Parts: sequence; C-alpha cells; structure tokens
Amino acid sequence: MNKFNRRTFLKATAAASAVAAVPVYLNFSEHKKVASEAPLKKVWTQCNGCSSMCTKAVYSKNNRLWKVEGHPLHLKAGGRLCARGHGVAIDVYNPSRVDQPYKRVGDSFEPISWEQANAEIGEKLTNIVDQHSGDSVLWVEHGPRGKFYADIFLDLIGSPNYCTHYSTCFTSKTNVWPKMVGSSLAADHENADYLLFAGRNFAGGIIPNGMSKIHKALERGAKLVVVDPKYNEMAKLADEWIPIRPGTDLAFFLGIAHTLISENLYDYRFIGRHVHGFYEFWEANKTADADWAAEVTGIPAETIRRIAREMAAKAPKAILEPGWHGLHAHYANSTQTAQMNVIVNALLGNFYKIGGLYPAQNVPFGSVDRKIPRFKRRGDRADGAGVAGKYPTVEPGRGIAQLTPKLIEDGTIKAVFIYHYNPLRTAPNPEEQKKIKNAELVVVIPTDWNETAVYTADYVLPEHYYLERTEAPRNVNGHVAHIYPQIAIRQTALEPIHNTRHLKDIIDGIATSMGYEGYFDFTLDEEVEAALTTIEDVSRERLYEEGVIEFTSHFVEGIPSEHNTSTGKVNFSVPEYAEHGFSGFPTWVPPATWPKAENEFRLIHGKQPWHSHSVTSNNPYLLEMTKKYNGEWMWMNAIRAEKLGIKNGDVVTIHSSVSTKQAKVKVTELLHPDCVWVANSYGNYSPRQKNGYGIGVNFNDFLEVMVEPMAGGTNCQEIIVSITKGVS
Amino acid sequence: MAKFGMLIDASRCTGCGACQIACQMQHQLPPHLQFNRLEFRERGKYPNVRQEIVPVQCMHCDNPPCLHVCPTHATYKRSDGLVLVDHRKCIGCKYCMTACPYDVRTLNDDRVPEKCKFCADTVVQGEEPPCASTCMCGVRTFGDLDDPNSEISKKMAKVDVYQLITEKGTKPRIYYVKK
Ligand code: SF4
Ligand code: SF4
Ligand code: SF4
Repeated sequence: MNKFNRRTFLKATAAASAVAAVPVYLNFSEHKKVASEAPLKKVWTQCNGCSSMCTKAVYSKNNRLWKVEGHPLHLKAGGRLCARGHGVAIDVYNPSRVDQPYKRVGDSFEPISWEQANAEIGEKLTNIVDQHSGDSVLWVEHGPRGKFYADIFLDLIGSPNYCTHYSTCFTSKTNVWPKMVGSSLAADHENADYLLFAGRNFAGGIIPNGMSKIHKALERGAKLVVVDPKYNEMAKLADEWIPIRPGTDLAFFLGIAHTLISENLYDYRFIGRHVHGFYEFWEANKTADADWAAEVTGIPAETIRRIAREMAAKAPKAILEPGWHGLHAHYANSTQTAQMNVIVNALLGNFYKIGGLYPAQNVPFGSVDRKIPRFKRRGDRADGAGVAGKYPTVEPGRGIAQLTPKLIEDGTIKAVFIYHYNPLRTAPNPEEQKKIKNAELVVVIPTDWNETAVYTADYVLPEHYYLERTEAPRNVNGHVAHIYPQIAIRQTALEPIHNTRHLKDIIDGIATSMGYEGYFDFTLDEEVEAALTTIEDVSRERLYEEGVIEFTSHFVEGIPSEHNTSTGKVNFSVPEYAEHGFSGFPTWVPPATWPKAENEFRLIHGKQPWHSHSVTSNNPYLLEMTKKYNGEWMWMNAIRAEKLGIKNGDVVTIHSSVSTKQAKVKVTELLHPDCVWVANSYGNYSPRQKNGYGIGVNFNDFLEVMVEPMAGGTNCQEIIVSITKGVS
Repeated sequence: MAKFGMLIDASRCTGCGACQIACQMQHQLPPHLQFNRLEFRERGKYPNVRQEIVPVQCMHCDNPPCLHVCPTHATYKRSDGLVLVDHRKCIGCKYCMTACPYDVRTLNDDRVPEKCKFCADTVVQGEEPPCASTCMCGVRTFGDLDDPNSEISKKMAKVDVYQLITEKGTKPRIYYVKK
C-alpha cells in the first residue's frame, strides 16, 4: 500500500504545481497527504445532478472532497445516489469551471474584476432600459431556482420577461394538470398493483428512491408494463415491454380509454360526481377503439384491450405513471397526450387514493423582510406566453425559451441574462440559438464554460458551485407520492475554491451599480431563518444538522368536493383551451411528420442513466462510462440496419432539414424499427470543455425551432432524418 | 473470523453505473481505473427480446489463480477471505492479470494490477461497500457468510444461486441469484 501511495503522491505533486494541468481526478495519496491529520467533515446538502435534488452527505477533509452518500430519509434519495450524483460532486474540481468574471474581447475572454463587471453591465443595462424600456430585458434560467432574486431584479427594471427552460422540457404536463385537475398528482408506486409506464423512464431519468419503490412493488407482486419505442432501463424490470410506433402514444391511450368506457370498466361514480366534459370526450372519441388504435400504434388490439382490462381489475391501485414530460409529449400532439394521462387515471378512479395518485405535501415557508421595489408599468411578455393573439394558453410564469433568438433578431429583446441554463445545447437548433449573441448585452451566469457562455456571452459571471453555496430551504416533493411533508436544504459543504459569487450577490452587484441599493440587504442565514418562522421547533441549526426534516401528515385519503380548476371539477374538456379556439378535450392528432423513405427514421432521444443532459457532458468519470459502453452511439434496429448495410460500430451520416452530422451506430434488437435513438447528453461543442468536446451528437442538432401552440413545447421528436452509411 | 462474500441479484440491475463511480470515489481512483463493470447482453429478436446486465468485479476466490501465479506473494488472501495486493511486493509482471478468468484486474498508474478490495478497510467496521450501499435497485448484498443472521446468509437461504466460471475451480466468494 505504501509504495502505491508514495509514488502516486510524487506524481500528484508534480501535476499540482502546474495548475492548469491538474488532472480532474481526486488522488487518494494527495488526499491522504492533505487530509490525513484533518478531521473528516460531513455536511448534508442537495445534489445538483438533476432536478430531483437528492439530499446527500458530502465528506471532506481540509476542504477537499472525498465522497458523497444519499440521505436515508430524503424522499428522492432514500439513502441512495445515482452515478450523476457522484459525478457532479467531482466536477467541483473540473478545469472547465469559470474561475472568475470574464468579459468578451473579440473571440476571446479577458479576466476582469467583479467591480468592473458590475459597473460596465450596470451602465449598459441602464442605457438599454432608458432607450427601449424594461420590456426589452429577458431573464432566462433553468428555473425556478433563481426566481426569487430574478423577480426582484426584473421588478426594479420593470420587465415582464422571466422565462424558464420548461418549454424545452415538461411544459405539456405543467400546462395540462393545473387546468384539468388543479394541481399535479404524483404516483404511489410502492402501493400500486399495476404500473403502466409509457413515456417515463425512472431508471434513465433516475429518482433513486423511485426505483427502490418500484422494486418494492415488484416484490409484492405488482405488474409493470413499459410502453416505449426503446427498450429503456425500466423495461428490463418489466413484465412486458411493448414497443410502440413513436409519436402514437395518444392513440394507445385513446384505445385504452375506449376499452374502459365501452366495456363499462371505468369508475362511473368518480366520473359522474367529479368530472366535467366526460360526454363531450366520449362522443368525439367513440370510433377511437382498440382496433383503430392498433392500426396507428402497431400494438395488437388484443394487447390494448388486455392492458385496459387488467388495469381495471386492479383499479384503483392501477396507475398510468404521470411522467416527467407529460408522457411522450414530444410531438404536435403533446398537449393531447398529456391530457390523456389525466383521463386514463381518472377513468381508473385512482385519484387521491393510496396505491393511486395524490398531491404533493407541502410545508409553507416564511419570507425574509426586504425592501420592495416600486411598481413599474410594463408591457406584454415578449415571447407571447399568456398574451391574447399570441400564445394565450401558454403559462406566462414559464415562457417560451426556444424563442429567445427570434426575439433578439426582431429587436424586441435587447439584453439577456442567462442563469444556470445552456440553451445553446439544450434548445432546438444550436445555429439558431447562437444568434442570442446578437443582443446588445448578454450576461451568462454559469458555473462552467458551457456552449452558451463561450458563444454568446459579453460577460461571464460565475456562480459558486452547488457544493459551495447555501440556498433557502425547499419542500421535497413531486414525482414520488408521499404523505409526510419534508423540507431539505442546500448548504455550503466546501468553501469556494475560485473567485465566484452567490447569485444573490451577483444580481445585487449589478442592481447596486444601476442605483438600486439595498434591495438585497439580507444574508443567506437570515433568508433561511425567515423561511423557517412558519414552522415550529425547526431551527436553522437543526435543519443544517439533519439535512432533511420530515413532518407529520395531514393527508387524508378521499376526493376533494371542489377541484382547483375553472369548473371546480376535473376537466376532461378544458374551457380555457376551448375559449381560444382549441379543442378542450383530446382527440387524435397525428404527429406533424412521418419517416417515409427506405433510409428515413424518426430521431428520438432519452436519458442515459449516468448522464444528465448537457450538465454532465464534460464529466471525466461519467464520460469513462460512456467510453466503456459506447454510450454516445446512435441506436438502430437490426433489421433496418441490415437493409442499409450498416454494421455495429459503423459511422453513418445523419441528415435533417437543419444539419448533417456523423455518428457511430449501435445495431440492436432493443428498438422500434421506425426510429433511431440517441442519449440526450452528447454533442458538446464547447472547446473549453476538453473531456466532452466533440463526443456524439445531440437531437437538438437536427431539430427546427417550433412552438406547440397550446403549451409552448418544442415538438422535440418531430425530426425526420435520412441516414447513409459512411461519411457523405 | 468473518467470512466475507457478496450476493448479486443481476435481474434487479438497470445498468445505471452508480456502483462504479461510488467505488471510484471511495478509493479515490482516477476516471480510467474501475474496480467493477457491467456486462450487457441482448437475448432474442425484436420485439421478443430482453436485456441482461451482469455486474462483475473481483470474486475474492477461495482458490485464486492470481495468487497462485504471483511470484512475489504480492497477491495474498487475508484470513477473512479477502484477496488483496501488497503494492510493496508487486513487481508488475502482470501474471495475475492473465491468470484471472474474470478479467477484473486493472493496471494502476504505478503499473500495479489493482482490483476490487472488497473495501477491506471499512467492511471490518461493519460498513457496506459503496457499490452496494449506493445501488437504488438493491443489487448487491455484502456480508458474513458464516453468520446465519447476516442479511446475506438470510437471503442466500431463500434463493438458488450460481457462480461465474466455476469450471476453473476458482471457488468465488461472489454468488449470483438464479432467476
Ligand atoms: S448501482 Fe445497482 S442498478 Fe446501478 S449499475 Fe450498479 S448494480 Fe446495477
Ligand atoms: S477474481 Fe480474479 S483477481 Fe479476483 S481473486 Fe479471483 S482470480 Fe484473483
Ligand atoms: S466492494 Fe468496494 S472495492 Fe469492490 S467494487 Fe465494491 S466499492 Fe469497489
């Protein structure tokens, strides 16, 4: 052992003196040397590997990270962490982190001081607001973690334009559920007897405790059915994998609903008492039976009927999983598909039932005392979300992120702030997104040199890494039903290693330089304390100490007599849609495009369990897994590949209306013949991210910028590609 | 004296890779050094097809070929059954790598053929190895095969098991659940 330690240590010291060349791995000997005498420190904080924000223990010595572990109580972690949870922790040492503020000079960046950055940005922004009004300023972020501070900033400027990435993600779901049910309900997987997963991959877009719960259900004898064009990671555990023609899930759900209704297998008491628009829906869909659905989906009619009957037999402990995106909501029929999720579950009568669906449990938080900005008149949102004549049914609180370059091009938006978001990689058509650069002022607030920072920023203002910062506490909920409310906190686990700042201080710096002083005069500790004033017996210290606190439950099984919707009922037909000329209830809407020619495919995508979109695309550890398992290869069905003369590992040229690129092919039996599949984590094109640069392709490379008119989505699987062997 | 072993239920594994990186962090390994791996196999033809994933790591064999070929006794077996490598004695001849039928040894940056240590330092304190404790699917169970009350013994009593490449007489300490 000693020999190993000593040798590696010598090498590590040599590397450490040439700072830029420090390899991005933790070295045990080095760690031991710096840390052996120091006490082991354990701090609870929240993960940033995905939106589940699992609470995890961070072990360190002398401010040097050792390892992380899941919090046993946390609803999403359940004591476990996925690969991404470990990987993003190590990225605190990634050389691609932005180490201090920078300013663009030509095609490169010059380091500047925070003071200079604040002064210059403040002056430019003041001029833009004076000339074009606050309406010309846009704040866009992953959402909604910066919202509390961003709202203060936008209030000071007088801008209505707070925008999240949601339109490029789960907007169909978040649009539909409040209008149809009043809130989103989560599935009680653990206690269900029948789980239908269609358009949801718990084992790819991982919630660790969600998977533990699935295993518990399976051990109890629950049935798991996975409907997906790709044999996803969940399918491996399923009783049945049912490959469906991509884009036709809506027809499958209509077929299920038709069977439930025509065979009188639905919960007519729930429908009679709590549903608005049932007959409208049924009248319009009377011909959408299982035989019709079989034609559209390629799933045999008997299978569709059998699944409906099996589910009815297990109802109300039978669930069509509510999905992350509102199921396969990646098409022109996204909103209707998401609507069918509500309808199928309502027909099964599983609302507000153990083993069915129920709402998130919350604890209300207090808010810090602060100076409130004077109200400024502002115009309509630039992206048209919630605006009559534009996108009236899209939620104004979330916006339409993919339109940012267009709004800059047509002159509506002059200044953009992009926080914790990388539209150049995660929004459609990167060449289009690059035009964000043309705004008069682009300020990017990242932690690393992602594509958006490199190609569009005038100023790059780095935030502390998630392990280095404290944030206000939050409720733990969503996607996994739970009757006990929980709160959790992100707190500083490692002292900042670069010249970075907390988001609050970044915004305060700019606001102050514009003359808006004193609007952020509170400390993080005060914010945390203020949040907890509404909760008895929970001090800041206790929350820091325990990481997660669980409360007693006020949940009672039973359907509320009033639902928080426009009719007070569960809306099978949504009046808000009907008012604006859309159909209030879903009927069959085909995808906008179909593959036709011999070498045409629909390009679909999904999560790979060890990556999280572009966030982890430069992580050296997770990329080793990619290398080991050919994770960046594009999947193609074996029969289709044979017809095109393509063999496993061959390079092919992929061509869409937007671009032409090359990728390697994985020839597989595990995919529907109509499509090719890529993981959504690759195609990194930031030259400052050396590990990930140039690996694989991304579906966004091939996607046109579109807006689904009802919910604002990107129709991100409306991509037809033609594929030829070799480089052409 | 404990007799450490591991039970792997491969049917529960979804291939997330958490076990690999949790192990790397525990032992502070660089990205390219890994002590465990997954083997993916497709069985059948579309659409009647399924996937198998088998997690593999050092089997801590009771009759370890790697130990027998080691000219310097660098590879040794601890009294609780863990097969470990004494770095001071290793001359980097790589005989053990060739001898191991499971292909689980990997050359570290000092040219020492490293491998899974069954977390030798921490399991004696009753801790679960991170490859087991991080797994959301509960694939691995680690423990004392001699203690009838250990979780692993209780599970082993309830299932049929198999082992990998038994024909080489290696007597592995890792058991797989037969489904
Ligand atoms: S952590 Fe568990 S589920 Fe994930 S790859 Fe390892 S054994 Fe499989
Ligand atoms: S699995 Fe290989 S390395 Fe491990 S003890 Fe057996 S022979 Fe040696
Ligand atoms: S037992 Fe320990 S050393 Fe072996 S693979 Fe698991 S974590 Fe790594």
